[in-house]
Amino acid sequence: MAARDLGGRPVLESVYSVIALVFVLVACAELCDAATVVDVYRLIQYDIAGAPFGSRLAGLNHHASSLHFPPGADLSRTVLVIPVRDLNLGYVKDYLSQRQPLGGLLFLLPQIFSFESKESSGNGEELLKNIVMELEQLLIHTNIPYPVYFAFENDDINTVLADIKRNDESGQPATATTGGYKLVVSTTEPKKVASPVISNLQGWLPGLKADGDPNQLPTIAIVASYDTFGAAPALSMGSDSNGSGVVALLEIARLFSLLYSNPKTRGRYNLLFGLTSGGPYNYNGTHKWLRSFDQRLRETIDYAICLNSIGSWDNELWIHVSKPPENAYIKQTFEGLSNVGDELGIKVGLKHKKINISNSRVAWEHEQFSRHRITAATLSELSTAPGLFENTGSLADSRNFVNEAAVIKSVKLVAESLARHIYGHQGKNIQIFADEGSLAVNPSYIRSWLDLLSQTPRVAPFLSKNDPFVMALKKELEEHTEEVILQNEVLDGMFTFYDSTKATLNIYQVASVTFDLLLLLVLGSYLIVLFSFLIITTRGLDDLISLFRRPPSRKVKTA
Amino acid sequence: MTVFHFFNCAILTFGPHAVYYSATPLSEYDTLGTSVKAALVYLGTALVKLVCLATFLKVSENESFDPYQELLKALIGFIDVAGLYFALTQLTHRNISQNHKFQAVGLGWAFADSVLHRLAPLWVGARGLEFTWDYILQGLEANANLVFSISLAALGSLMWLRKNKPKTLVPIIYACAGIVATMPSITRCAFLSFCW
Repeated sequence: MAARDLGGRPVLESVYSVIALVFVLVACAELCDAATVVDVYRLIQYDIAGAPFGSRLAGLNHHASSLHFPPGADLSRTVLVIPVRDLNLGYVKDYLSQRQPLGGLLFLLPQIFSFESKESSGNGEELLKNIVMELEQLLIHTNIPYPVYFAFENDDINTVLADIKRNDESGQPATATTGGYKLVVSTTEPKKVASPVISNLQGWLPGLKADGDPNQLPTIAIVASYDTFGAAPALSMGSDSNGSGVVALLEIARLFSLLYSNPKTRGRYNLLFGLTSGGPYNYNGTHKWLRSFDQRLRETIDYAICLNSIGSWDNELWIHVSKPPENAYIKQTFEGLSNVGDELGIKVGLKHKKINISNSRVAWEHEQFSRHRITAATLSELSTAPGLFENTGSLADSRNFVNEAAVIKSVKLVAESLARHIYGHQGKNIQIFADEGSLAVNPSYIRSWLDLLSQTPRVAPFLSKNDPFVMALKKELEEHTEEVILQNEVLDGMFTFYDSTKATLNIYQVASVTFDLLLLLVLGSYLIVLFSFLIITTRGLDDLISLFRRPPSRKVKTA
Repeated sequence: MTVFHFFNCAILTFGPHAVYYSATPLSEYDTLGTSVKAALVYLGTALVKLVCLATFLKVSENESFDPYQELLKALIGFIDVAGLYFALTQLTHRNISQNHKFQAVGLGWAFADSVLHRLAPLWVGARGLEFTWDYILQGLEANANLVFSISLAALGSLMWLRKNKPKTLVPIIYACAGIVATMPSITRCAFLSFCW
């Protein structure tokens, strides 16, 4: 007996552990069984000097409703699903400004705004683009106390929306008692991004110094800011603003590195290429980059050309300056560019906007240069200065709206006028970067970099310190220039950002509580009927009746 | 409310077994032991069937109706019959009448079938937020299976336990037993031909 006990003990223990494991597994088993799972992107949440903007919440667990809800319905626990195609902007504006309580908002974007769709832009799409831009501006500058998400339209979510519309129109909005669809986003609450980092890159192409010449060579700077800001930071690819500028800068760097690689064709100017970050935040990165300059370097810079949004123009570009147009350098630059522009069939206009030192708003990158006493101009397709967070590469700025030919023409314009200035061929009709030569602008280089930029969201606070994209830019600059420096700075403390930019939305089709209660009633009656049927057939009707009769009192028997 | 749904489906799936046990004289004669033994025999039969299916059946890439495979599945269904034979005749039961024996065995058989085939999907699936009709259909299937198992056990007891059967009824009994044993294959064929 004792031997069997000892032998049985480990077996029993293993059986217990197996049973415990089974219980744990059973308790934890939770499969994802949603009708639809969609990737959603949250509206940005940020503070400017403590004032909150954007969507302040991330978690979502409410019923869905479309715009056709019956008037007067209580929407404080409902999520409104709005396709942007049918958007009535005035209505949303009223809703937001009156601060009406709402469970959440889900905007459905047409596929043309995503990178995967290859549709070309037509007239209808331009209208959509404007609507999306207006919507973004509205949402960015409002403090919204509930979650706001963006998603792309696809078949699944379209069928769900059609179903929701049908339910709403038949007068049965979804609440806990009538079934319908439930939208669930389970993420952690958003936290502040501590010390957002902005990384500036610079590449240096030294010019040919003549023997015995003690003076420093003059420098020309070409700058573009590469980061973006938009309503949905996970979708802010910024193909035009400022992906086109970055691509143009890289191509110009490549062409001039070819020229400068041979000492016979090396010009007598140094070239400084700058990829700055912090563009949407009053060009904070440019300011910090310029502040870190050596005094000697600052003195040798003749002028700087900033590239901003040169990807979707037809035949007109603008040069924006802050110094008066009578300035010698400005005049020279403008004439050089417009001469080349005439040859290429591009109309180049000049716009002068004075800087207001007391106003901290910096609308163009060249204004930061001017504040540091460096002559600069911005080449752009935009004719007026953008406001805060306008034209910063947001949702509406997708690859489908960027024209490669426009970028190629801009590269030709800038490169040709630079080269003529460097080699002293102003006014002469020479094409250095002719189309069939070895220095031709490479369209596939431009296309592949544009495609990469259109797939990479580049909102600066969400780029980590050694972000792979920044490293890729650094590597590319290293191929074309010498001395590449990566400078990491902390973003101006006036802006605070919160994380949680991307999530998955589960859409469940739920049954109402009344359905469950009804089912319970039906099942209860079924079991009761089965019970009585079985008793009657096997034991007889008397037994059934005797169940309900009180058992005869014992006292009677003993007596 | 999703645990509520799980509870509803659970009582639909397992309720009738408990009701059957308590409503009929089975509970008076305390035949629980018989049912438990029958359930264990079902477990063994199911394992043998699984092994046979895995060894002899090919996995077909398309949904075509292969008569050879269907015949094989029907033959493996007869392992069920063998299991029932074992449960009815070979196990030692307490002194209970034949009438109650087949009911207890059939009940235990059906209960084991429900638990093994339907409890796990129910636990994992019915507790989610998403609502589907699947689990209610599964419960109805469990009910039908109860009737089916008890009828199979009845035919089995007629065949093997009762010694004096009228001669004319014997082929009918065997034919009915054959049909009931291959019922899953028959329902599948009927369903396919209905859908075409």
